[in-house]
Formats: sequence, structure tokens, C-alpha cells
Amino acid sequence: MSGIETVKVIIDAERQAAKMIDDAMTEASAIRKRIDSLIQEQRQQMLSAAKKEAAGIAARAEEEGKLEAERYERESAQALEALAARASSKKDATVEKLVAMVMRVE
Amino acid sequence: MSEASKFTEDILKSGREKAQSIIREAEADTQRASDEAKSAISREADDVVRGARADADAVKRRQVSEARHRTKLREQQEKDKIMQAILDQVKKRTSELVTDESKYIPLLIHLIESGIRELGGNSAMVHLNKVDLQRKASSLEQRVNKSVGTVKVEWSKDPIEAAGGAIISTLDGKIRIVNTLDQKFDALTPRLLIEARASLFGETSQ
Repeated sequence: MSGIETVKVIIDAERQAAKMIDDAMTEASAIRKRIDSLIQEQRQQMLSAAKKEAAGIAARAEEEGKLEAERYERESAQALEALAARASSKKDATVEKLVAMVMRVE
Repeated sequence: MSEASKFTEDILKSGREKAQSIIREAEADTQRASDEAKSAISREADDVVRGARADADAVKRRQVSEARHRTKLREQQEKDKIMQAILDQVKKRTSELVTDESKYIPLLIHLIESGIRELGGNSAMVHLNKVDLQRKASSLEQRVNKSVGTVKVEWSKDPIEAAGGAIISTLDGKIRIVNTLDQKFDALTPRLLIEARASLFGETSQ
């Protein structure tokens, strides 16, 4: 091989090596780009699932709160009825007691 | 292998290695970025769920609290209604008892006497309602005069509008002591309410 041919072969090898590196850089760039969109996609999915779970929690809480409030009101209504009945049974005696207070000579 | 071939091979090997290193670095970077992103997204998602749980607790507490408030209000309204009915009945019974002279006359005399004492001075004018004015003719005047001693008592002929009791005034009418049953009832109302609450609902204080 002549000197010129040798130089040519070396230059060609240098070109090939540079191309390999260029290609690798292009692929690396593509890999980085892919991960960005992959992360965005994962974020959308995970947040969407979280929001769905949050909506379920809110709906359940609303329902549970409503039921608890209804139960509380039901029990209170019963207690109030009992209170009114007890008061009614003591009404006449109370009236007499208060009338006596008004008519009392002090 | 010639020197040139070996040199060429070294150049290509170095290029390959550099290219592989670039790819590995990119893959490592993306793996790290992916892990960090997953962790951050997971925290973000947890925050969303945690926030929803906190909101849910608040919603439940608010609903129960509103129910408590509503029932407390209803209970108070019911109690107020019962108390008002009791007071109305007491007032009615009191005005009916005016016809029972054995109970009413001692009270009337007491109201007149205490009014005269409160007024002070040597003379007093007693004002009664129409029914009591008719009673005056009997023993009322005599019993009052006897109990107030030296105070000169005059009896107004003009009836007052009252269920019972009396208004005691100076002769010129400038000072008046209102000792009517209505006034007594009004003055006693706070005590009557306390007594009624204790008696009906077992409430010892407001």
C-alpha cells in the first residue's frame, strides 16, 4: 500500500468513527425525547387515576355525611318527641306551681 | 496485520466505544429522569388523594355539624313553644283565680299594702279594676285601713284595666306604684321561666 492509500484508509476510518459517534448522538437525543413524552404520559395516567380516586372519595364522603346527618336528625327527632312527651306529662303540675308563685304573698 | 490496518482498526474501535458510551449515558440519564419523575408524580398523585381525603372529612364534619345545628334549633323552638304555652296557661289560670276570693283577697290586700309602703307619705290613692271596686264595699277597705295604720287611704272611683291587683298613687297622681297582677306576672316571668325549665326539662340554669 502506498503512502497516499494508507492516508486515505485512515481518513476513511476517521469518517466512519465520526459517523458512528454522530449516529449515537442522534439516537441519544431520540432516547431523551422519548423519555420526556413517556414521563408526560405517565404523569397524565397517574394524575388521572388519582383524580378519579379523589372524586370517589368525595362522593363517598358526601353520601356518608348525608347518611350520618340523617341518622343524627332521626335520633334527635325521637329525642325531641320524648322530651315533648315528658314535658307534657309535667305540664299541669308546672302550671299549678307557677300560678302559686304568682299568687304567693311575699 | 499491517500498521495501517491496526491503526484503522483502533480508530474504528475508539469510535464504537465512544458511540456506545454516548448511548449508555443517554439511557442512564433517561432512567434517572424517569425514576425522579415517577417519584415526583407519585408525590403529586398522593397529594391529590390526601387533599381529597381532607376535603371529604371536612364535608362529613360540615354535614353533621349542620344537622346538629338544625336539630338544636328545632329543640329550642319546641322548648320555646312549650314554655310560651305554659306561660299563657299560667296567666289564664291566674286571672281565673281572681274569682277565688279566699286566695285572691289576701294577695290583693298585700299588693295594696306593699304599694302604699313603697309610696311612703301620709296619704295614698288606690286604683282597682271594676270587679275589685265592687269588692271594696265589703271588708277590703276596712282591712286595708287597719293594716296601713295612720296613712290616709282614698279609693279612686275610676276603674283601671287590669286582671287584678292595684295601682297606688299619690293623691295628685304624680307618683304611681303599679302592683297589678299583670305587672307581678311580668316581673316574675324570668323566675317563672327558670322554674318551668327546671320542672319540665330538668334544666337548672340557662
